Amino acid sequence: MKIENNSLTSLALQKFKRNFWGVFSIVLIGLIGLVSVFAYVFAPDASKNANQMHLSIHSKTPGFQVQMLTIPSRQTSNQSFFSKLFFGVDNLDTEIPISSYSIKEGMLSYMEYAVNGGEGIEKQISLSNFPNNDYQKYIDTRTFIFGTDKYGRDYLSRILIGSRISFFIGFVAVFISLIVGLIMGSLAGYYGGKIDAVIMWIINVTWSIPTLLLVIAITLALGKGFWQVFIAVGLTMWVEVARVVRGQIISAKEMQYVTAARALGYKDYRIITKHILPNIFGPLIVISAANFAAAILIESGLSFLGIGAQPPMASWGAMIKDHYNYIILGQPYLALIPGICIMLLVMAFMLVGNAFRDALDVKT
Amino acid sequence: MSNTPIIEVSNLSVSIFSKNKEVSILNNISFTVKANSITAVVGESGSGKSITSLSIMGLLPKTISKNTSGSIKFNGNELTGLNDKEIQNVRGNEIAMIFQEPMSSLNPSMRCGKQVLEIIQRHTKLSKSEIKEEVISLFQKVKLPQPERIYKAYPHEISGGQKQRVMIAMAIACNPKLLIADEPTTALDVTVQKDILELLKTIQKETKMSILFISHDLSLVSEFADEVIVMYKGKIVEIGNTKTIFKSPKHNYTKALIGARPSTEKRFKKLPTITDFMDNNIDKEVITDSQRQEQHKILYSQAPILEIINLEKEYYSKAGWFNKPNAFKAVNDVSFKVFPGETIGLVGESGCGKSTLGNAILQLDKATSGTIKYNGKDITNLSKQQLRKLRREIQIIFQDPFASLNPRIMVGDAIIEPMVVHNIGADHSARKKKVFEILSAVGLDESSYYKYPHEFSGGQRQRIGIARTIALEPKLIVCDESVSALDISVQAQVLNLLNNLKDQFQFTYIFISHDLAVVKYMADQLLVMNAGKIEENGDADEIFNNPKKDYTKNLIDSIPKGIIK
Repeated sequence: MKIENNSLTSLALQKFKRNFWGVFSIVLIGLIGLVSVFAYVFAPDASKNANQMHLSIHSKTPGFQVQMLTIPSRQTSNQSFFSKLFFGVDNLDTEIPISSYSIKEGMLSYMEYAVNGGEGIEKQISLSNFPNNDYQKYIDTRTFIFGTDKYGRDYLSRILIGSRISFFIGFVAVFISLIVGLIMGSLAGYYGGKIDAVIMWIINVTWSIPTLLLVIAITLALGKGFWQVFIAVGLTMWVEVARVVRGQIISAKEMQYVTAARALGYKDYRIITKHILPNIFGPLIVISAANFAAAILIESGLSFLGIGAQPPMASWGAMIKDHYNYIILGQPYLALIPGICIMLLVMAFMLVGNAFRDALDVKT
Repeated sequence: MSNTPIIEVSNLSVSIFSKNKEVSILNNISFTVKANSITAVVGESGSGKSITSLSIMGLLPKTISKNTSGSIKFNGNELTGLNDKEIQNVRGNEIAMIFQEPMSSLNPSMRCGKQVLEIIQRHTKLSKSEIKEEVISLFQKVKLPQPERIYKAYPHEISGGQKQRVMIAMAIACNPKLLIADEPTTALDVTVQKDILELLKTIQKETKMSILFISHDLSLVSEFADEVIVMYKGKIVEIGNTKTIFKSPKHNYTKALIGARPSTEKRFKKLPTITDFMDNNIDKEVITDSQRQEQHKILYSQAPILEIINLEKEYYSKAGWFNKPNAFKAVNDVSFKVFPGETIGLVGESGCGKSTLGNAILQLDKATSGTIKYNGKDITNLSKQQLRKLRREIQIIFQDPFASLNPRIMVGDAIIEPMVVHNIGADHSARKKKVFEILSAVGLDESSYYKYPHEFSGGQRQRIGIARTIALEPKLIVCDESVSALDISVQAQVLNLLNNLKDQFQFTYIFISHDLAVVKYMADQLLVMNAGKIEENGDADEIFNNPKKDYTKNLIDSIPKGIIK
C-alpha cells in the first residue's frame, strides 16, 4: 500500500516550494549561514578576526592590487586544526605591502608601498629570515576584491567574518525569545485568570523598557561584548512571541479538538505540546522570521553606537560605524557594502517569513 | 396566480477554478420562478443550490468562477453579461436576498434602524423623516415588537429571530419583485422558524412578490412552497408541484430525502439511507410498542448508572467595578437518572442549558452545586488524577466534525493516542490492530489510518470522532448535537451507526439535540429542557403523544411535518 503524505505540514511545504522568492531567500540564508560558519575557510585573510592590518594601503578601492612581502615569524603556534578552522589563525607573521624589491648580497631590499604613489622608504632584510632562503614564496600579488578598510584590512574577509555576528545574534535572540516566549505565552493563554494577569503584567513591564537602555544596563553589569547584546536582544524580544503565542492559544483553546482532548483525559502538558502548539506553528514561524530580521537590525544599531561587538571583532554594524564618514569623502562603498549585506539578510528573512505565512494559510 | 415567469434560468452551467483545474458545480440547469409564488430549491450541502442563487444575484466571485453557458432572464431581461453597475441596480431594488446567519449579516456597530434606512436612502429620494417613518412601518410589517426601540437598538441587543426579521425588513424595503431566501431559518430554533415562515408567507401574499426559498429541509419546504426543485450534485433531479412531488416522488433521490428523515409516527429498526433507496433495498422492520415496553421493563429494573441530583450551574457576568456581578443560572435544579443501556434524549432550544448540562456531566465545566453520581459515587469533587480515570468511562461525541479533530494528527494516531494515555492495549502493534478493528466497526477502511482529517467528508469525520471515542471503551457517551451538522442522508447513516455500536458494545447514550424528530427516534427516555429547567420528563413516545406542558406542545407542533400523510 502506498502511503501518501498529505499532512498539512507537507502540503504547506509543497506550497512553499512553489513560491520563488521564498525558496530564493531560504537558499540565500542557507548560503550566508554556511559562509558565516566556515568564514575562515573562505576569507582571503584567515587571521583571527581578519585583523591583519597594512596601514599604508588603507581605504583602497575594490579590486586593488599590490605586491605583498610576508616576513615569517620565528615563533611557532601550536593551534589545533579546528581552532584554525573556526576561530582563525593566530597570525604572527608580518605583512608588508611593497612597490618593488631586489636582491643584493644575501640581503632582500624592498621599497615600501607609499600612499598616493609617492616614494616609499627602502628597507633591507637578511635572506636568512626566510626558510631555505626561498624568498620567492613569500612575495605575492594580493588582490583586495572589496578593497581595504581604514586600517588596511581586507574588507572581504571582514564582511565574511562579520556575517557571523549578524547571523548568530539572529539565532540566539530568536532561540531565547522562543523559549521564554513559548513558556510564558502558553501558561498565560492556556490557564488564563490570575496566571494570565501576572504574566501579562510582566510582559507589559518588559515591553516598556527600551532595548537600548536594557543593553546599556546589562553592559554596565556584565561588561561590554557581543554576548551581552545577544542576551539583551533575546530578553526584550520574547514579549512579542509571548503575546502571539498567548493570543493564538486563547483562540485554539476554544477549538473543539482541544475540548475533545480534555474529554479524553489527556494531561495539560500533552494537550499544549501535541494538540495546540503544532496548530499555532504558522504565526510562530512568521514572527520568528520577523524577529530574526529585527535582531540583526538592533545589533547593527548597537554596534554603530559602539556597545555591540567590540574591536577587533568584525561586525557589519561596527563596519558601517567605522566608515560612515567616508560616504562624503568619495569612498561610499566602505559603508555601503556592509549596509547592503544587512539589507540582503534582513530582506531574505522577511521574504521567507511572508512565504511561510502564505504557505501555512490553510484557506487558500 | 399568474403564470408569467419572473425568473427564467435556462441551461445554466457554472464552473469553479481551483489550482487551474475546472470543476463544474452547476450542470445545465433550467427552471422558472413564476410571479407571485413561492418556489423552493431543496438539496444537500454541495448540491449547488446556493450557487444557483448567487449566480442569479451576480454575486459569484469572478476571479475563481465562470458562467460557462446558459442564460438567466429576469422579467424578460438577460442578467448574465451585465456589468457591475447594471447588476447593482437590479440587486436590492428588484431582487433582494436574505441569508442564513442573521448574526453575521447585520453590521454589529450600526443601529438596526440605520441599516434599513441606508438601503431606502440609496434607492429612493425621500426625506430623512419620511424614511424613518417608512422604516418603522417596515418593522411593524415584519411584526417586530416595539419598532421604535428596535430602530435604536444594536444587533447584539435583539434576539436571533428578531435579527432575521430586521433582515427581512431590509430585503423588502424596496418592494423587490423577487426575494431569495438562502436557508433563512436553519440557524434558528424550531418555534422561531415557524413564526418566520408564517411571516414570509403573509408578506408574500401582501406584496405579491415571488420567493425563491433555498433549504435542505424537505418537510419544511413542503408546508410552505408552491413548487419544488430538487437538486443533487449540481443537477436538477426533479421539479414540479409540491403536492405531486411529495405524494409521488419519481426520482430515487427525492424518495430518499423524504424517507431518510426519522418519522415521528413509526420507529424503524434501521433508518433507510440514500444508498438503500438507490438500490431499492429498504429495511421496513418496525420496532413495535410492545417490543419497546418489554425492553424498557428490563432497562429500568437496574440500578442507575448516572444520577443527577439538584444540579445547578451559574455564570456570572461582571457588570462593572461597583455593581454586583449578575448571576445567570444556565442549569437550574436539574435531577434525573440514567439507566445502563438506555438512550436518554435531551431536547430544548438554543440557550436552554442542554450543552452546559452535558459539559457538567463530563466534568469539563464544574457545576456550581448539586451532585452527579456515577455508579453510586459522587464525581463532582474528584482529584485531577481520579478525573482522568473517569474520562475512560464517560465520553463525548461532538457536534462539529470539522473542528473536533486535530488537523495535524493522522487519523490512526488520533485514535491510538487515547489508548496510549489510558494504557489500553499491550503495545503499539496490539493497539494498531485494535484501531483497524474500530475503523471497520465505524465503516471506514484501513487506509484511513494514514490519512489526515481534511481528506474526509463531514460524515466520515464524524465516524472518525466516534471511532476515537469508542477506542476508550466507555460506558456512557454524551452525544452533543452529534448529527446536527450533517446532511439528512448522512445523518441517517450516523444514527444507524450509533444504534449498531450500542447493540455491539452496550453503550449508554445521553443524546442532546435541538431536533425533536431525531431525539424521538433515538431516545427511550426524553427530557425537555427550557431556560435551565427540566420542563417534562418521561418515555419519549408518551411525551410525544400526550405532551403535558404548553412548552412541549408548542415545540412538537413547530416541527415541520410535511404533507406526506
